[in-house]
Amino acid sequence: MWFNLRLVPFLVIGGLALAVASFVGGSVGAMIAGREPLALLAVHPPILHVPPEHPFGAIPITNTMVASWLSVAVILFVFLWGMRKPRLVPHGLQNALESLCEFAGGFIEEMVGKEHERRMFPVVMTVFLFVVVNAWMGLLPGFDTVTLGGVALLRSANTDINVPLMLAVTCVCMIEYWGLRSRGLAYVKSFFDLHYFGEAARAIQRGYLRSSLANLFYGFVYVFVGLLEVLGHAVRILSFSFRLFGNMTAGVVLTSVALFLVPLVLPSVFYGLEALFGLVQAVVFAGLTAVFGFAAISSADH
Amino acid sequence: MEISAEAAKLLAVGFAMGFGALGPAIGIGLIGKGAMDALGRNPEARGPILTNMILAIAFAESVAIYVLIIAILLIFVV
Repeated sequence: MWFNLRLVPFLVIGGLALAVASFVGGSVGAMIAGREPLALLAVHPPILHVPPEHPFGAIPITNTMVASWLSVAVILFVFLWGMRKPRLVPHGLQNALESLCEFAGGFIEEMVGKEHERRMFPVVMTVFLFVVVNAWMGLLPGFDTVTLGGVALLRSANTDINVPLMLAVTCVCMIEYWGLRSRGLAYVKSFFDLHYFGEAARAIQRGYLRSSLANLFYGFVYVFVGLLEVLGHAVRILSFSFRLFGNMTAGVVLTSVALFLVPLVLPSVFYGLEALFGLVQAVVFAGLTAVFGFAAISSADH
Repeated sequence: MEISAEAAKLLAVGFAMGFGALGPAIGIGLIGKGAMDALGRNPEARGPILTNMILAIAFAESVAIYVLIIAILLIFVV
């Protein structure tokens, strides 16, 4: 291997020793023993700010806004740099980007089928890239620690409720647009199943009282079901946004609690967890958009 | 019996997270069980099974995240 394998036990023992030392000498040991924590290991208890803060004083720009601009700049720069001299047989960065897009295209195609994949790819891929770059950039040193004007200069954009809300509203609007565009009025009619009223009218015409009353009853029940369906579509905005916001905020709280309890070595495990959760949430957000879009496009009686 | 606001808040957070995470945890376990059963029956369908399992787990987990948001809001903001 590229490093000496005999060093591994020493590294593990050294890491554990550092972790235990920081646990004993840091804030938790101080609280148990009733003394002050070592200056090197004193981490303040986790504070959570739910609303984003303004680091530039009176200027209405929040730290999450700056972070989201930064991730947009990163995505733009990486893709434009990779495609600055496009070759038919890709090399290097262009190869990596093309394989990423092909992988995402295959993933979407598995869920929605070949004929709809092209239509959904832009929105789904953009949402995925934005969420994952936001999540991973929040792990870089400097986020949440560098302060300007008393508050953090940069904060992961996914931890601001506005960003997931914006993404959720965009995705739900795109889903409804895809449904209306591909099925037209039949999409709106698919919510409310009104044929029972037609059956009731026919039954009244022929003079069957019980059948007409039963069909009228079913008609009203299905109107109620349709309203529930509309409500379910609207609730998707809430569930999309809270899933992403909750996962990201819980990750931030978890990491800061881990840093408070055992300042050295142990938080790297939580870092890895954060990175994994960022990727999973990005895949889930984009994937659910594709799945709901497919459900809106395909008619119920396939 | 007088319960202070602080005590009530801490009790509420404990109960919320304790009971709230129970349902999603069982749900995710059931989804995993279903996925394992399907994978055992048909190992060739590994891709679609795993993809759909991840999506279903995300749905179930989001309910636990709602509860976590309420608990975090109670602790830090109220």
